[in-house]
Amino acid sequence: MLNVLLSRLFLSLPVLIGAIFFGFLLLRVVPGDPASLLAGQSASADVVARVRTEMGLDEPWILQFVHYFGQVTSGDLGRSIISNRPVLDELSEALGPTVELVLSALSLAVPLGITLGVIAAIYRGGMLDRAIMALAVAGISLPVFWVAYMLILILGVQWNLLPFTGRLGPIWTLEGLQGLALPALTAAFTLVGPIARISRTAVLETLYAEHVRLARAKGVPEHKVVVKHGLRNALLPIVTLVGLQIGHLLGGTVIIETIYAWPGVGRLVVGAIMNSDYATAQGGLLLMACIFVAVNLIVDLLYSTLDPRLS
Amino acid sequence: MTPTGTGQSISPRSAKRRRRAKGGVATAMAVAILAVIVGVALLAPVLAPYDPYEVDLSAALQPPGSAHLLGTDMQGRDLLSRIMYGTRLTLLTSLTALVSGSVVGALLGLAAVFFPSSDAVIGRLLDILLSFPAILFGLALGASLGPGLLPVTIALSIATVPEVGRIARAAGLTIARQEYMQSGRAIGLGKTTLFFKYLAWNCMPTIFVFLTLRFGFIILLGAGLNFLGLGAAPPAAELGVLAAEGRNVLAFAPHVATYPSLTIFLLVLSLNVLGDVLRDKLDKRLL
Repeated sequence: MLNVLLSRLFLSLPVLIGAIFFGFLLLRVVPGDPASLLAGQSASADVVARVRTEMGLDEPWILQFVHYFGQVTSGDLGRSIISNRPVLDELSEALGPTVELVLSALSLAVPLGITLGVIAAIYRGGMLDRAIMALAVAGISLPVFWVAYMLILILGVQWNLLPFTGRLGPIWTLEGLQGLALPALTAAFTLVGPIARISRTAVLETLYAEHVRLARAKGVPEHKVVVKHGLRNALLPIVTLVGLQIGHLLGGTVIIETIYAWPGVGRLVVGAIMNSDYATAQGGLLLMACIFVAVNLIVDLLYSTLDPRLS
Repeated sequence: MTPTGTGQSISPRSAKRRRRAKGGVATAMAVAILAVIVGVALLAPVLAPYDPYEVDLSAALQPPGSAHLLGTDMQGRDLLSRIMYGTRLTLLTSLTALVSGSVVGALLGLAAVFFPSSDAVIGRLLDILLSFPAILFGLALGASLGPGLLPVTIALSIATVPEVGRIARAAGLTIARQEYMQSGRAIGLGKTTLFFKYLAWNCMPTIFVFLTLRFGFIILLGAGLNFLGLGAAPPAAELGVLAAEGRNVLAFAPHVATYPSLTIFLLVLSLNVLGDVLRDKLDKRLL
């Protein structure tokens, strides 16, 4: 197990270094002088010159990268030109709400998606299967912002059930939960379709496997065949596939956070880009890249734990 | 494995025949919707009843009616005309991105097959690109180049590369095992002929089906980036921008946000339905 962990960690190192290099390049390919961009539009020539020396922009780029790499790995991501606070502080404040949103969306969507997928697989070709799969395709085709709009209009405005004005408190308070409800529902809505489709495929594949045929042949009752022989073996690919898609599926949280004014990483980055706050944008993108690498790593590990044959 | 896997490739024949018959209606509707949307987008300058940029504050936020079929936005601009032009812009950027990204992706994926020594490097590169969600590229390019249609198009194109590369590589590996590849090599055909006429040409159906499935995703992603303000600047008519413009008047004039979003939904839905049908026809387990 430790070996697996170490080898996976080792494999994701190049990706992380690549992400840092990409973040480094980000500011070097901008049109114009990075120093004056980082210092802000109203900065005087002195400040720009100081920023330039601080950033080491007169050094060769390899040295600059080594320098930047050292800064990033020691947690120095620069300062936001909007709030004049360290980017690291801004990011650590935004991380909590994003994790809150993501985990609550997943805990709604994963059980529902898997259940729908399994039902569709059991009744393959029947009305129920077709209905679920039609809903899944429709769900996949819906723009995230429209889902948010409709939920706001129906649950927020028309029925006045839930607030849609951002984060109202920590998750353990009633206000916090109420504020979280609509963003989490929106994110969950976009996740259910893909998860249902993945689960259906996985269950169908196991239901036609040899050992399931054998179980049927020796007279195991059908519900036992489905649950014990089918679903149990299908859970493995479901976990992996869902896990590997999570990073991509959650791209939508950037839009959801922006619509609901949810103070997470995605909203922070979008706001930073709009305000040309390069240090914050760079740091936020780096954080997002790290999150995705971490998610992939966890899924990899989970997979080898669930399937001992692999480790 | 794509997030859209349905596992229909493993259905026994009888079930498949049944589905094909029932699927006919859905396919026909998808094709019809697609044809109407694309046709209207192409003919927007002819069909649009108003100038999509003509501001008329006295007619602001009119609900759908006889003068303005889909109503007007907060500046009194005709929503139908704006949606027609918006669809045009959305289709143009996504199609440009899809074509450019898939050419690069397909060349990379097939090169990995054709020149086995490059397989490890290309495979790793594609894996790294795949491990990041597509929206990250959009945000990164927006951060570095500033908001605009060009960075969005480049981001959509980058998002297409690794997926197409992976599919092309998988398809290429199957083709490379075929006898005609060996025969081509044996009769001394040039590398260019072998690569393009034998390998690439025969991978086209698989790649094309995958692109149909991917097109909807690219449209959604592009609309999302435009919605966030990373793409076309506000006066421009683009479906994501139009949907974002409806946000402030959502409670009392929901039509402003609804119709552009509905257009995106119908467009993507018909592409996805069509893609699923084509994949079942192709009946390969690659997708």
